[in-house]
Amino acid sequence: MIKLENVTKTYKRGANDQVIALNDVSIEVIKGEFVFVVGPSGSGKSTFMKILTREQMADEGDVWVAGKNLASMRRWKVPVLRREIGYVFQDFKLLSNKTVYENVAFALEVIGSNRRQIDKRVPEVLELVGLTEKQGAYPHELSGGQQQRVSVARAFVNNPRILLCDEPTGNLDPSTSVGIMKLLDRINRTGATVVMATHDQHIVDSMRRRVIELDDGYVVRDQTRGVYGYGG
Amino acid sequence: MRWLYILHEAFIGLRRNLMMTFAVILSVTVSLTLLGASLLLNEQVELATDDWVGRVEVSIFLCDDRTCPAVTPEQQEELREDLQDHEVVDEVFYESKQEAYDRFTELFADQPSLVESIDPDTLPASFRVSLVNPNLFNVIRDQFAAYPGVDEVVDQREVLNQFLRFTNVVRNAALTVAAIQLIAAGVLIANTIRVAAFARREQTSVMRLVGASNWYIRLPFVLEGVIAGVIGALVSWGLLYGTVPRVADSLAQDIELMPFIGASQVVSVGPWLLLAGGGIAAISSILALRRFLDV
Repeated sequence: MIKLENVTKTYKRGANDQVIALNDVSIEVIKGEFVFVVGPSGSGKSTFMKILTREQMADEGDVWVAGKNLASMRRWKVPVLRREIGYVFQDFKLLSNKTVYENVAFALEVIGSNRRQIDKRVPEVLELVGLTEKQGAYPHELSGGQQQRVSVARAFVNNPRILLCDEPTGNLDPSTSVGIMKLLDRINRTGATVVMATHDQHIVDSMRRRVIELDDGYVVRDQTRGVYGYGG
Repeated sequence: MRWLYILHEAFIGLRRNLMMTFAVILSVTVSLTLLGASLLLNEQVELATDDWVGRVEVSIFLCDDRTCPAVTPEQQEELREDLQDHEVVDEVFYESKQEAYDRFTELFADQPSLVESIDPDTLPASFRVSLVNPNLFNVIRDQFAAYPGVDEVVDQREVLNQFLRFTNVVRNAALTVAAIQLIAAGVLIANTIRVAAFARREQTSVMRLVGASNWYIRLPFVLEGVIAGVIGALVSWGLLYGTVPRVADSLAQDIELMPFIGASQVVSVGPWLLLAGGGIAAISSILALRRFLDV
């Protein structure tokens, strides 16, 4: 489902200085897996996620996502790729002038779904995330956990094969985070591949899923049923 | 559904930034009014010259003792026959001294003092000749200038050319100002669209990540520019429609010898204004968004 082969990505910083964000990284994630990507700030987690959505392109190496080679992908095909990927942000990125229902429906509207499909699919997803009763509320009327549920609903509404979550619990308290993780787990069980970048040691340790650790652009650990760090 | 969304977003943008929208419409209006005016001036000149050139190209003035020994009836008859038989001549009219005087008094009816200074005998009689091809004037002059009884062969188009040179200068000046104004309008539109895109950057970043196509993201902004441009074009069309026929009418009352453009020419210039207004808006919007909203 996701495959990186010897991927290197550097950012220029001024004329002579450069930062190596990913250094000869090879990772394969198969369909239906749940993977944590951990590591300190600046370890390359964000770059890894951005390469998967083709916000950034690898300097070297090959990247396949959902059966597509991103290096040779035409620019106008990028939107098609992104319809296969749901994306959940740390800061939710909900549109404040739209209700819960409208925020979720928006993701379908802008890829050209018709009204009938939207009216069928949005209530289903809102029920999945447990927000059916809040569908008329605006984001500022919701708690952080509820906002993140809306964000998950929006990411999942068009049935993507991959769900990328960038620190989804970063702005939430521990008990709310558990709720979000249960939700992501449920979505994973429907067959979607989930990749989650996180700092949250508790969550990683309690879920016991595959853990990929990045440090300074290198993969320093890739462990099935892992924990956050060796030291615990 | 899709189009409804795109139109809706475009109007939201226009409303949110009302001052900018107003400035865009105003500057498009000014530039397109100038453009339309110069196009119409061109039409007017073509209309007038077609008519004028079609009527008479060459005047052959006859002697009347004042300038040279007066033309005799025989000479005059010979001249007429030779003109009529000539291959480049289309039509020949004779204008007597009295007819020349009548036309003069009619032409300068507003200036009685000028008319009083001339008596019916002052103006020479002439043959007015239209040619198969107006450019063959030299053939006529070379052949008939030396005829006995002929004072002067005048290319009327030369008189016309002075008038044309003047209108060309006016038209080119108007076109230049219109072009500069149009560029300014384009820059203003580009800036407006950039501001609009910046104001909605959260929405567009979400759209990008859920896989909205490039055009789906851009079209509301482009349409926003085009709507403003087209409104500007419509306003300038209306302005021209309201003023040009009136000006032409009042001029037509003073200058009787010349045909003038009317409302129908103003109507037919409209589609060009709409094309220019919408086109410049579309191009500058697309250019403004090219870097800003790339995936």
